[in-house]
Amino acid sequence: MFPTIFTKHTIEFDPSKCVGCGLCYKACFVDVIRWDEENRKPIFKYVEDCEHCFYCQSQCKKEAIRVVPNYASERLLQSFPQYK
Amino acid sequence: MDYKKENLSCDVLIAGGGVGGLTAAIEIKEKNPDLDVLIVEKQTTGYGGKANKGGGVLQYFRPDMSPAEFVKFHVENIGCYLGDQDVMYKYVEMNTEMLEKLISWGCNLPKNPDGSWFVIPTGPMTSMITVDLDITLKMRQRATKLGVRIMDKTTVAEFFVDGDKIAGAAAYSILDGTFYVIKAKYVVVATGSQNYRFASMWSSGRGDGIAAAYRAGAEMRNCEFGNFTQIAKVKSHDEVVFGENNMYNAKGEFITPHFRSYRETDINSNAIREWYWQMLAGTGPVHLEYPEREQESRPAPAEGTDSKEGGAAMARLFDRPYGRQFRMLNTISSQSADQGSMEICPLFIGEQSPIRVDGDMATSIKGMYAIGDCSYTGSAAPGAVPAPPGRNRGSGILNAVFAGIVCGDAIAALKTCGCAPADIPAEKVAAVEEAIYAPLKRTAGHKAKDVIDLVQRAVVPIEQSVYMKEDRMKKAEGIVAEAREASKDLCAEDWHDLLACHEAEAMVTCAEMFYAASEMRKESRGWFLREDYPDIDNKNWLKWIIVQNVDGKMTLHTEDVPIDKYPNKPE
Ligand SMILES: Cc1cc2nc3c(=O)[nH]c(=O)nc-3n(C[C@H](O)[C@H](O)[C@H](O)COP(=O)(O)OP(=O)(O)OC[C@H]3O[C@@H](n4cnc5c(N)ncnc54)[C@H](O)[C@@H]3O)c2cc1C
Ligand code: SF4
Ligand code: SF4
Repeated sequence: MFPTIFTKHTIEFDPSKCVGCGLCYKACFVDVIRWDEENRKPIFKYVEDCEHCFYCQSQCKKEAIRVVPNYASERLLQSFPQYK
Repeated sequence: MDYKKENLSCDVLIAGGGVGGLTAAIEIKEKNPDLDVLIVEKQTTGYGGKANKGGGVLQYFRPDMSPAEFVKFHVENIGCYLGDQDVMYKYVEMNTEMLEKLISWGCNLPKNPDGSWFVIPTGPMTSMITVDLDITLKMRQRATKLGVRIMDKTTVAEFFVDGDKIAGAAAYSILDGTFYVIKAKYVVVATGSQNYRFASMWSSGRGDGIAAAYRAGAEMRNCEFGNFTQIAKVKSHDEVVFGENNMYNAKGEFITPHFRSYRETDINSNAIREWYWQMLAGTGPVHLEYPEREQESRPAPAEGTDSKEGGAAMARLFDRPYGRQFRMLNTISSQSADQGSMEICPLFIGEQSPIRVDGDMATSIKGMYAIGDCSYTGSAAPGAVPAPPGRNRGSGILNAVFAGIVCGDAIAALKTCGCAPADIPAEKVAAVEEAIYAPLKRTAGHKAKDVIDLVQRAVVPIEQSVYMKEDRMKKAEGIVAEAREASKDLCAEDWHDLLACHEAEAMVTCAEMFYAASEMRKESRGWFLREDYPDIDNKNWLKWIIVQNVDGKMTLHTEDVPIDKYPNKPE
């Protein structure tokens, strides 16, 4: 019924580079990233809620994360056709 | 879904582990180490919140300028006589003390080689200095060292009140749903502002702390100043701070002089209105130009002010090791999206911050305090502007630090009754628990995002929130009423989604407060603009609008601003 407010940013993750420090999990301020205790790896569980803030990527010393924003998936919601 | 239950108790419960919550925790422990302080943070204390996502600039007042001078300037040009001038004075007076405290807590504030502050002049009467973006991490370390207890990934959902006094809070883990009943002698709400989950970076402000305080009966003030809007590039949605000084329409006309004649401290709502007018007149889109040769045509600094843009100093702005990479990643990404396009459009940010507090940051509920972004306009200190930046760059972090110190001192001195809280009656706990978990028990109903979508459709279009008129407000209120209806049968899939449901409901409550107060204020003042009441009305509207939940009903009344006791009065 309603248009979606989900974003379509993507997060590329290279598990082979990850050393399991957990900083990316702590960094996410909107609960996109969860922690897999057993394998000591991040789980990118709610990517549709990502705000492309880049904080997780900036925390990862091993360059295992790349955030790829899809700006067009964010709304402006102004009442002129080009800014919907 | 099954979940565990636990009872906890502490002397001071701090909801929210951003810069405000951390300041209060540290201040209390430094002044009164015997108090047992517990921070409950929805995400991760020190990493969450906003202070580490922004510019990390701090407002700086030259020591040779008297606080009274700045207060006068602020009251006349920014707060438009709606502010609490005493609190603003105290904030300015504490500037150096706050900066020194941040340093003593381990934060990195770059200085010049000779030990003097590295100051960047910004606007009339104001300058800024910087702090590295690990500010809250350093503060978390300091708080931990002092013995502050921290519970992360746990959200505070409801406050318990016993008569007129705070008794504690209900919280749950967003990881496994564990339900906590936390008894506390004092509660500090430090949960940030309401940003309606719209603009990236700002969207962690979801107003659930504000809504919980409202439900508990705390008074709200200046709810109508909850509509901060910035201009942003249309492709990347990257905000352009001070861009309003360089606006052009599609005909190539320089339109900034339509709304300002001298350089102001920051963007004002009339810049957003100008964009709207240009679009309506068919002379959009609006873009920015920075023609170097024409710099003299830009609004000049106001007479007698130090409004140079800081030249070389600006270039050193991100000379901070921790924040640099974070800034760079953002800049590179947005530049590649914009491809040089300078077209702009308003970006709604929100920043409603209405929990009413006094000079100690005490709310109208005994033992309950509110600090930082959740009580910025509620404190009335800044007057007729929405929460930080509040047309005052660098006032966000420092306002939170200021409020945290003031409230920390009051609590450490056991100013309000520090006696043990009454037991929270079992039936009260059961009712709250049932309400919190209800969305998980429903198998059908509305999703959180359905409700959030509706609220955003009401508040985001600028003619419904920044440049308002009765009929447009009515239209928006209709959409909010639809959202309220939809919020009655919210259904959640997991704990993460349950949190989104509570946030969605909080957005409805905040939008309701915003429109109720906005309709009542029949004038334009400061940031608050109405097409149908375009003028400031000092005769009838030197008033604060107070919103309160009385037995489940939203009530509104006005209170006169005690202008007679303040040094600065309108003519
Ligand atoms: C992009 C951007 C740039 C900025 N730039 C500057 C700047 O350069 N200078 C400046 O001074 N200010 C700046 N600000 C503003 C400044 O960051 C804020 O004013 C300041 O961080 C407010 O601190 P706070 O602790 O009150 O709130 P927040 O920083 O919002 O912290 C609130 C905390 O509470 C948590 N929380 C929320 N709800 C609950 C709940 N129900 N239960 C438990 N925890 C909860 C949140 O997760 C968060 O950690 C900027 C803000 C942004 C977004
Ligand atoms: S920050 Fe990098 S190395 Fe650390 S857990 Fe996350 S992905 Fe792995
Ligand atoms: S970019 Fe920001 S919002 Fe997105 S996953 Fe990383 S930390 Fe979370």
